[in-house]
Amino acid sequence: MPKTKKYWKSTEELEHGELFVQQQEKEFAEKLPVDQFLGDESLIDSSTSRRDFLKFLGFSVGAATLAACEGPVHKAVPYLNKPVEITPGEANWYASTYVDGRDYCSVLVKTREGRPIHVEGNVLSLVTKGAVNARVQGSVLPLYDSGRLKGPLSGGEETSWSKVDGDIGSRLEGIRSNGGTVRVLSSSLASSSTKAAIQAFLNSFSATEDVQAEEGGSSVDARHVVYDAVSTYGIRKAHELSFGKAVVPSYHFEIAKAIVSVGADFLANWVSPIESSHQYGKARKAGKGMAKHIQFEANLSLTGSNADTRIPIKPSQEGAVLANIYNEVAKLIGRPPIPAAQVSGEMIGSISDAASHLLKNMGKAIIIAGSNNPDHQVIVNGINDMIGSYGKTIDMDSPNLTLQSDDAAVAELISDMNAGKVDALILYNVNPAYSLPNAEQFKSGLAKVGVSVSLAGTLDESATLVNHVCPDHHYLESWNDANPKPGHYSLGQPTVKPLYKTRQAQDSLLKWAGASGSYEEFIKKYWEENVFSKQSATLTFTAFWNQSLHDGVAAVSVGPNADEEVAADVATEPVSLASALMTAAQAVQKGGAEGADWELVLYEKTGIGDGSHANNPWLQELPDPVSKVCWDNYLTMNPTEMKDRGFNTVLGQVQEADLVDLTANGVTISIPVYPQYGQAKGTLGLALGYGRTAAGKTGNAIGQNAYQLCSFKDHLNYQASDVSISGSVGKYQIATTQTHHTMMGRDPVRATTLEEYISDPKSGNPEVTIASMDHKKKKAHELNLWQDFDKPGHHWGMSIDLNACIGCGACVVSCGSENNVSVVGKKEVGNSREMQWIRIDRYYSSDTDKHGAYDLQEIPSAAENLEVSFQPIMCQHCNHAPCETVCPVAATTHSNDGLNQMVYNRCVGTKFCLNNCPYKVRRFNWFSYQNDTKFADVNPAQDDRGRMVLNPDVVVRSRGVMEKCSMCIQRIQSGKLVAKREGRKIKDGEFQTACASACPTHAITFGDKNDPRSVVSRNQADPRSYFLLEELNVQPTVNYMTKVRNKDVG
Amino acid sequence: MRLSGFISSLNRSSASSKVTPLLFAFILLSTISVPNLNAQDTEAGAKIFKTTCATCHTIGDGRLTGPDLKDVHKRVPSEEWMVPWIRNSSAVIKSGDAYANKIFEENNGTIMTANALSDEDIWSVIEYIKVESAKAPEVAEGPVENPYTQGNVHPVDNSESNGLMTVIAVLFILLFIMASVKLSLKKINAELREGEEPAEKSVVDGFLQWMSAHKRWVALCVLISIAIVSRAAWFGLLYVNVTQGYEPEQPIWFSHQIHAGKNGINCVYCHSGAEKGKTAGIPSANVCMNCHKAIKKGTFTGEEEIPKIYAALDYDPEKDEYGDNPKPIKWVRIHNLPDLAYFNHSQHVVVGKIECQECHGPVEEMHVMRQESMLTMGWCIDCHRNTEVKMEGNDYYTEMHKNLMEKHPGEKITVDKMGGIDCARCHY
Repeated sequence: MPKTKKYWKSTEELEHGELFVQQQEKEFAEKLPVDQFLGDESLIDSSTSRRDFLKFLGFSVGAATLAACEGPVHKAVPYLNKPVEITPGEANWYASTYVDGRDYCSVLVKTREGRPIHVEGNVLSLVTKGAVNARVQGSVLPLYDSGRLKGPLSGGEETSWSKVDGDIGSRLEGIRSNGGTVRVLSSSLASSSTKAAIQAFLNSFSATEDVQAEEGGSSVDARHVVYDAVSTYGIRKAHELSFGKAVVPSYHFEIAKAIVSVGADFLANWVSPIESSHQYGKARKAGKGMAKHIQFEANLSLTGSNADTRIPIKPSQEGAVLANIYNEVAKLIGRPPIPAAQVSGEMIGSISDAASHLLKNMGKAIIIAGSNNPDHQVIVNGINDMIGSYGKTIDMDSPNLTLQSDDAAVAELISDMNAGKVDALILYNVNPAYSLPNAEQFKSGLAKVGVSVSLAGTLDESATLVNHVCPDHHYLESWNDANPKPGHYSLGQPTVKPLYKTRQAQDSLLKWAGASGSYEEFIKKYWEENVFSKQSATLTFTAFWNQSLHDGVAAVSVGPNADEEVAADVATEPVSLASALMTAAQAVQKGGAEGADWELVLYEKTGIGDGSHANNPWLQELPDPVSKVCWDNYLTMNPTEMKDRGFNTVLGQVQEADLVDLTANGVTISIPVYPQYGQAKGTLGLALGYGRTAAGKTGNAIGQNAYQLCSFKDHLNYQASDVSISGSVGKYQIATTQTHHTMMGRDPVRATTLEEYISDPKSGNPEVTIASMDHKKKKAHELNLWQDFDKPGHHWGMSIDLNACIGCGACVVSCGSENNVSVVGKKEVGNSREMQWIRIDRYYSSDTDKHGAYDLQEIPSAAENLEVSFQPIMCQHCNHAPCETVCPVAATTHSNDGLNQMVYNRCVGTKFCLNNCPYKVRRFNWFSYQNDTKFADVNPAQDDRGRMVLNPDVVVRSRGVMEKCSMCIQRIQSGKLVAKREGRKIKDGEFQTACASACPTHAITFGDKNDPRSVVSRNQADPRSYFLLEELNVQPTVNYMTKVRNKDVG
Repeated sequence: MRLSGFISSLNRSSASSKVTPLLFAFILLSTISVPNLNAQDTEAGAKIFKTTCATCHTIGDGRLTGPDLKDVHKRVPSEEWMVPWIRNSSAVIKSGDAYANKIFEENNGTIMTANALSDEDIWSVIEYIKVESAKAPEVAEGPVENPYTQGNVHPVDNSESNGLMTVIAVLFILLFIMASVKLSLKKINAELREGEEPAEKSVVDGFLQWMSAHKRWVALCVLISIAIVSRAAWFGLLYVNVTQGYEPEQPIWFSHQIHAGKNGINCVYCHSGAEKGKTAGIPSANVCMNCHKAIKKGTFTGEEEIPKIYAALDYDPEKDEYGDNPKPIKWVRIHNLPDLAYFNHSQHVVVGKIECQECHGPVEEMHVMRQESMLTMGWCIDCHRNTEVKMEGNDYYTEMHKNLMEKHPGEKITVDKMGGIDCARCHY
């Protein structure tokens, strides 16, 4: 019997939970509170009589009628002096740069009447190439956070800038004259001008040092320490040990034909995820030469979900796996082996498979590891050296300059602080009191620092402990630049006047350095001296500057001495890869002991990242791409092991997750357990970035702080091997979207293997036929009950390539930002009432020979050997839309350019359309999320500042109406208008929906189906193209394209 | 738009009339007074004058920023002299031309902006000035009563309900009179027949008696009244917040009649947003200052209203200095579309080539700006159903036009045929 694939979304579905089936058969997943309302005993005792009620009713109706009779007087207040570039009602776009110490992204910022409301990728950037991720998409919201600091603080009290400058200045002056130690602790800085500004600040101490040295006085030790909460120190250190260059290299996945990742989640968080996602999309184009991706990991990560072959391993095995891959490759090319620990028999097969893939694609292969252990990374370097990655898929000469964390220096700083040796400490874009595993040591050390200053924009965990807080601007209020790679520069410009009395961090540093002039002038000068001078295309600096500011980026040639920053890190001692390898391998072999009980792997979510975005409700409500849980962190565990221990694996509204006590690194936390397929047995996963205590009203007290479970010896270690968990100590409600909006066991995802696809491009994509009146099988779209809609002009459509979709969720955040989608908070997500217009369904699948919709539980090894598919689903804009025919008030109708339109003001909220939608893409406004105080902590539109981020071209929906994806009709209308005004045809790709423009891998494309040359038309004619639930003959406008998996054996 | 043009625009019966009113006016004029003149030249000249010169000059309507140009060709040394002067006056001044320096001083050293007009263009402007001067309008500049009377300050419904109520009341009165007449007749009849005095009955008693005798009639009347009142209520409610005719008092007494009518300033000179985007926009005060830096006295209001602009900008006209305490002007918004409706001016003005007056009425006649149209959805839809789309020369429509012509051969292609009444064109 031929094997078929079975898809499922959750433990509930796989294990046939009775509740699940019941829920799916109900119209609404949530229980409507009718009984509660009718059974309210207190109503009987109410003192309001029927007569009173009628009186109130009469009065309020009368009052409402009177009030409605006369319209209010609206005022119109024009500019007194209108800026030339602003036309009220029209958007202006500015190029800028997003850098936060983790992500670097060249962006375009959409502003309306001088306030930024949306961010998109800048296609001119040669580094990010227009790609973005969820965090960049969400970065506009914190600008309007009413919890931001509104001015400087001294000792927790509000003060003025002149006073705080005076205080800090006199302390620093004291150090200048009496000597001492000054430290600037910052995150990785992608901005070369910022580094120069910090250097200028530090040099302001050494200038006096010379004088004092002559006078025999004491000297000042001023240094810059780089600390990242999630560190890449291991990679830098390993490159220093192996090649003498302490760099994080640039990775080129786009040319790779074989990608092996050992625990590196490079599509979500590792090193440069925005760049990598874009490259990965290119490497994974269906067809000959599609890259093979093998992932060894413990947690099922976003990257692991996309892998063709995924081997669950324990974190303690990572070293052994790497060493064995090394030996396997070495054996095949005849190099001496390194000491390696034994691995199990089945693992050997996977390892040799990975090794042979790497070797087969020599020069076009890459292996990476997520570990922050320099020894692991040295072995990775050794393998990459053998398979010829350097100079091809890995570029050390043009390294990644955005990451410079130095764990050793951080450790030294903390011990110096505790020894009372630090006289002044400036914290810039770091929050060590929250994110250090040894935060307590840091806090005690901080108390001993002479003067401590934080430049944080909000009163975070660290800023509450320092003497002075000098709040920085939001990046959209700041001047900045970035130098992500040698020769690549980008500029950040303010797109709004500062909302509060904040001051740019670099300006503060320059001021304390005694420098005159603003940071803006400083950047200009820096660019004139260091960037302009490296190019010859433009003759004057003003022209070069204006062009760079307009484009947002500038690429200049890298001369022999241009990368001085890279060169500065070159070690003086000669190094040998071979000897470094031996040392590392021995250390790995010794240290790779398995944990006694459980092993823990700490990871980052795509939205929250390292926790600095915890106060962003858009990102909190973005479901984790794999677990589909939002507003929480939780312990992921293999469901089989959960059942062995009696933990609840069937979660829903009624059933709660089990809480357990988790002990690691001497710390015990109480955390819910969540069933995660693909989790390596004996391992647990836990997300960093939660458990903030001073993030802000949205981000406080969500989940538990996992940083305290890290260890910090020589480097920050995000794995723990000696972990124990208790039995269930309580219950906890988790909000997950994975069981919402299910398709009742139908076949939404189509997939094939590369081999089959090459021999038959239509493989895995069978023609859907339905029986017609004359009992003949016909193609679904050939049957038609209705007269087709007339589409004389355009027929807007979308195409979604399941092979390109990596499930990152950038589209979800982008859609929310563009379309004013309400944030509803954890409780309402738990009630299946999330409002996101686009969702990414994540399906697990495995081969089975059984058929039928609900026999999933009979697949014996389903959970062990699974594949993952991501499927973005938004309104399919059906040409025979089932929603349109059931609306009693014609609130949802079809437009002449093929859109299914939703008119909020007609809608009376019967929800018939929602019930009749086979794709479950309609969302009902159960509450007035913008006004109901219940949502004050989660919905940004609740205060005056937060409302400023709303897109004025899109209506904010009120309670009681239905809403859904409009295919960004406001963008279509404005794009059409531009073409009409200019009297020309619309160019394909000229405007995009928010989701399509956010997609880093171009999985979503938008265009006119009436134009045969458009990408969408071509995609729909592709043999991989299919329509979702085609057998229903609702004739969707959105098509999907089969996922292709590279199952080649090495 | 000038007054003569406006009259012709008023006379236009359909939107399809594309004859520029100005052209019409000037062809007429040229045939009367300057028979040898090329109509094309004056048309071009009129156009250039309107866009380039009219913000500072009038012809026979008095001084604006620059002098009145009536009969200017007779004042200047020669008509040829005017060509370099119009193109770049400061160059002529620098060349030491005596007359140039004389008028430069007469105008307090205000320089006329240089422009890039060709000789041909300038000549057409001169021709235009000559034609306009020849019209010799004698403006009666006597004391005019301030027409800025108390406007319709609050938005009010001009619903039909009032009219209907009157009709109903009249009907009731009629009914009452008829009943009384009938009663009197009855009395007389009884007197005649029986010759004796009937018992004295009041009108009310009689009416009640009549009612109890004619229950079907009463029921019918009641039903009809209910129907009439319901209909009135229904339509009354439909027009709640329809504020046609709304003309509120504004913080500054600004007259469109003077600016757009008398001075002929192009609408989009101030409402520049109309050609660029969604809102036409109320001009910012810096646009006012383009002229009012020089014109400090109003025709009707003397020195009361213009200084309000100065106050808003914190501008000192004596010293020609701006202070640092500006206060925005809070105009009362007249045209209020609900937030749920998206309307874009440039779509209608640039793409649809619709004259401002078609929706806003004869603004150049309005001393006090008022809402001319209903601005209801029905009003929008009516226009979209009847207006033929102006597609010529716009490549955007080529393909669509072809498809629509196949589908509707011989019909005119109106906005609704292209989806112009789809909900999501305006509601999203």
